[in-house]
Amino acid sequence: MFRPFADWLTNTPVSMALQNHQWVVPTSQSIHILAISAVFAPACMINLRLLGVGANWRSVSQLSNCLIPWMWRGLAVLLITGIIQVVTEPVRQFVTPAFWAKMIMIVIVVGMTALYARAVRRDAAIWDAASSRPATGKVFAVVSTLLWLAIIVCGRFIAYTWIFYA
Amino acid sequence: MSIATLCSAIQAWPLSTAIRGNTPVTAWLFPIVETLHVMALTVVVGSIAMVDLRLLGLSSRNSPVSRLSREVLPWTWTAWCVAAVFGSLLFISRASTYETNLQFRLKFVCMGLAAVNMLVFHFGSYRQVTRWDSGEPPMNAKVAGALSLLLWIGVVFFGRWTGYTSE
Repeated sequence: MFRPFADWLTNTPVSMALQNHQWVVPTSQSIHILAISAVFAPACMINLRLLGVGANWRSVSQLSNCLIPWMWRGLAVLLITGIIQVVTEPVRQFVTPAFWAKMIMIVIVVGMTALYARAVRRDAAIWDAASSRPATGKVFAVVSTLLWLAIIVCGRFIAYTWIFYA
Repeated sequence: MSIATLCSAIQAWPLSTAIRGNTPVTAWLFPIVETLHVMALTVVVGSIAMVDLRLLGLSSRNSPVSRLSREVLPWTWTAWCVAAVFGSLLFISRASTYETNLQFRLKFVCMGLAAVNMLVFHFGSYRQVTRWDSGEPPMNAKVAGALSLLLWIGVVFFGRWTGYTSE
């Protein structure tokens, strides 16, 4: 279904210009991995903290308010470098189930993180005390960790599975 | 024994052959090991960057450096060990190719320099951390933070480029 669009995109001047420079994809991927660091490391720290593991010199809301802005910055860079990779090699992305699974999971986990960030900003006191912290905090921690892990797996596996669908 | 003969001997190990993927099933080993390596290294770089950005005054300005370091370092070291184990598995699969690969060598030059930078910081400006724990770090601590960021960016770049130049 997406193949005609992918073929059209491949032949656009922008895509062809990017394809002509072999350094574009590896450079974009390197920046993509650095941006994953800005998202995944904070996500791990916040989530484990919600599960009761980690240093407690700062509150859950302080930790979250400090780290979540870096996750948004990282995601912005991931979007830009991701678009560069899609435009340069459209077929590789659009024909591969791992790519679409990744996109769906990103939408879900970004939505969850935005809801969590808003909840913690609004009711910091409730989230900071383990006794009053909503049970949804633990659900968020487990589900979002699994989603980030699955997103990284899918991202890497686009490279190893696209050939089966092209 | 020269390094070249050692590497070709390592590459001939059954485990190396399996990770290189000589059967339809083991063909998935390299992608799986590589994915686990990427997961771990992003935690290494992300956690180190938290301290570096604090030293540079770009993040966590209200957090004492010593407490932030103590919170972050267990993450860094645990993830570094995981990345090192899976990285070693990637290395043995094509030891001879990687050993002569320029990008691979530069990656380890960056990581070695990052280690020296860390030791200089730890036994240098960090010894007087109580003087600047909650305030602005001295210039040599800022330099250590900037160098650490740049060197780890180098590690990630040369790591990714190793994959493109070692086929």
